[in-house]
Amino acid sequence: MNTKSLNRRLKGWMGWLALIFVVAAALTIGIASTTGPQTPEERIDAISKRVACPVCDGESVFESQNSASIAIRNQVGDLVAENDLGDDQIVAFIETRYGAQVLLVPRASGFDALVWVLPAVALVCGVAGLAVAFRRWRVQADGTLDPTDDDRALVEAALRDQRGSADTK
Amino acid sequence: MIAASLNAALGRAGLLLLLAASVFGAFAVLYGIRQRNPKLLKQGPIYAWLGFGGALLACVMMQRALITRDFSLAYIQQVGSADTPALYNFAAMWSSLEGSILLWVAVLAGFTGAVAWRFRKRTNDVLVGWALIVMFVISACFAMLSFGPADPFAAGAPGVTSGPGPNPLLQNHILVLFHPPILYLGYVGFAVPFAFAIAALVTGRLGEGWLLETRRWALFSWAFLTIGILLGGWWSYEVLGWSGVWAWDPVENASLLPWLTGTAYIHSVLVQERRGMLRVWNLSLLVATFALTILGTFLTRSGVINSVHAFGDGPVGPWLLTYFAITVAVSLALIAWRGDRLRSPGTIDSPISREGAFLANNVIFTVFAFVVLLGTVFPLLVEALQDRQTVVGAPYFDRLSTPIGLVLLFLMGVAPVLPWRKASTELLRDRLFWPAWIGAGALVVAVAVGATGWAPLVAFGLGGFAAGAALRQIVLATRRQGWRGFVGRTNGGMVVHLGVIVIGIALAASNSFTHSATLTLTQNEPVEWGGHTFELVSVDERINDAGSERVVAANVLLDDRQEYRPAVTTYLNIGQDVGTPSVRTGFTKDVYLTLGQGVAPGDTEATIRVFIKPMILWLWIGGAMMAIGTLLAAFPSGRKRNPLDPVSAPIGADQPSMQPSAEPATPAVPPGATEPAPEPETVQVRTT
Repeated sequence: MNTKSLNRRLKGWMGWLALIFVVAAALTIGIASTTGPQTPEERIDAISKRVACPVCDGESVFESQNSASIAIRNQVGDLVAENDLGDDQIVAFIETRYGAQVLLVPRASGFDALVWVLPAVALVCGVAGLAVAFRRWRVQADGTLDPTDDDRALVEAALRDQRGSADTK
Repeated sequence: MIAASLNAALGRAGLLLLLAASVFGAFAVLYGIRQRNPKLLKQGPIYAWLGFGGALLACVMMQRALITRDFSLAYIQQVGSADTPALYNFAAMWSSLEGSILLWVAVLAGFTGAVAWRFRKRTNDVLVGWALIVMFVISACFAMLSFGPADPFAAGAPGVTSGPGPNPLLQNHILVLFHPPILYLGYVGFAVPFAFAIAALVTGRLGEGWLLETRRWALFSWAFLTIGILLGGWWSYEVLGWSGVWAWDPVENASLLPWLTGTAYIHSVLVQERRGMLRVWNLSLLVATFALTILGTFLTRSGVINSVHAFGDGPVGPWLLTYFAITVAVSLALIAWRGDRLRSPGTIDSPISREGAFLANNVIFTVFAFVVLLGTVFPLLVEALQDRQTVVGAPYFDRLSTPIGLVLLFLMGVAPVLPWRKASTELLRDRLFWPAWIGAGALVVAVAVGATGWAPLVAFGLGGFAAGAALRQIVLATRRQGWRGFVGRTNGGMVVHLGVIVIGIALAASNSFTHSATLTLTQNEPVEWGGHTFELVSVDERINDAGSERVVAANVLLDDRQEYRPAVTTYLNIGQDVGTPSVRTGFTKDVYLTLGQGVAPGDTEATIRVFIKPMILWLWIGGAMMAIGTLLAAFPSGRKRNPLDPVSAPIGADQPSMQPSAEPATPAVPPGATEPAPEPETVQVRTT
């Protein structure tokens, strides 16, 4: 058997089934063995990435080298060391201390929810727009057998352009 | 005092020359087109070069002022200092608002001059004429900005004889020299395709001619923007000490926005070149790219958005907002006015086709740009409507950009194997098989080396899939054409894709698998963490010759092999402390060390923060691949494929087959109109 037919046989449904199996197995193993942060430090990092530095401009407590940020970091560190509260609760605690403007992730309620809703709306509009366009193209391709006057005019104009007449002004 | 007045006087004279040349150039060319006067039209390039000369003069005088520490200028009082080393003193020109606008103006004048040079033999072509007019108008607008509200040569308070120098963060890494100019080359470069787009709208020559003229300009601008953004990430990594490359800061977002729409453009433009479709869409993307550049400049230069590296609240805000509004209004009006001519005759047969993939790419990139724009301006909206402060930070962007990035990786895997027009399932099954297995292989390898979590794993799998598709194209092309299989738009584009994939995988790995710890080290007592040993050798102090900087550094022996020096630099004139990380770079992972505050020389104990970050180096390697790929894509591929040939046909086939079966089912329109028709090289202008 030559290589070409082997290649073709591999590409049959067996090959694709094997592929699906391998991918599913690898994903299962990989996702199942997911562990959380390994050191307290990494938990502090994960939390401090969600909190804005209260005095600087838009930096997170994680990035900022500011003393106010270091204070919050230490506070988060203490709470993590106590190990009573979950990540969300620690963020909520910091929020009660410093106000809502230290939250780097906008809430999903009230006016702030718009920042989450609008991207979804944009995606839906984009995909729907694309679907409508394809539908129209299909109808156009199926339906119009005879050229319309518009089409003739367009062709006429294009040919005029091509001949390089001085109409283009 | 004489020297002082010389710098300011000649610098202003340069700017005035640019302003005058731009205004007169615009009017001369406009008048030349109306009067059909080739003599006037020939003057256009001369005005462009005069303007460039003026901008150069202004830059030279600014450099002279910086070098001679001419403290009679307000700008030098702001960023000049006797102690700044020569290199950073050179870069101080763009370290604050006025100077950065001056750099912007100079780059713009350079592009205007380059366009004039490239098209100097075609001044009779009205398309070129109008493009020059648009470039002149943009130049004039920005020259006015530099001449008026953001005057880099304004006189400073009398009696000042020293200054603080540039922001300390802008004087301890060499990338400060390269990142801004390269980024500006990208930003401003998009003005050229924009100018030709406007010229096409004005002249009504909306065929594919202007696209082909500006193909390389758009490609190079895009490449410079890409490299500029990556260099910014590199600078952030090496200097800022939080071990990251991207913080979704408004200034970073401002550079990403035109990159996103620009990337969408360089893809969808291929559909128009080949099929003559999507004309309005491509024009809109170019307008959006240019307008977002201006909007980004407005957001970051006017003080409306707070950011670590926004430049104060200058008086330039209202001007830039006006320019933005004018750009959008004029472009939209022109597109509406030319609506009838923009109707494209063809149809796209199937969503499962190269065209369909490009359209999907465009939807995703546009949504991405929308997300970034929304997140960036949302705090402004909240403040305006509800009068309260909010921050939309990195976690928001991370959460939304992850699925978008994964979809893009998937598209990069599928799109390159799709033929134009339509694809059958058998064809997909055949062509996608090996790329899909490469993706599965990448996934298995990732799991084997211990990667976990669904998002990075999916990213690795899709990355392998996309890499497989790109490699398939390159292998097939090189097998057929030898080394020419690497050049040309498609093949070079695949090299760019490989670079993007490398960056995507490096980002996924470094974001997901960073480990960090705070270690308190005692002298000569090695500490083990994360598979490495850290030993404090000493803490020392160095003061530079000028006595302006004190560097306190911990010498840390890493793995008993080499010493690294995370440091805190105190700028004594300003009294500001800046941490400087020290990084061991490797192909699989970086070890990133920073020194905590409050360490004194001679201490026997020091607290360091350690980050172990995988695959960071591959971000820069991927960037280099993207740059090389862009060069390959811009390289003329010699033999041109006949646009009427099927994609599978060997390039340069002698017989251009008309292939009636593959023609779209619109028999009404002859092929000449559905395919890009070559435009006349020049439009003959009659002499009066």
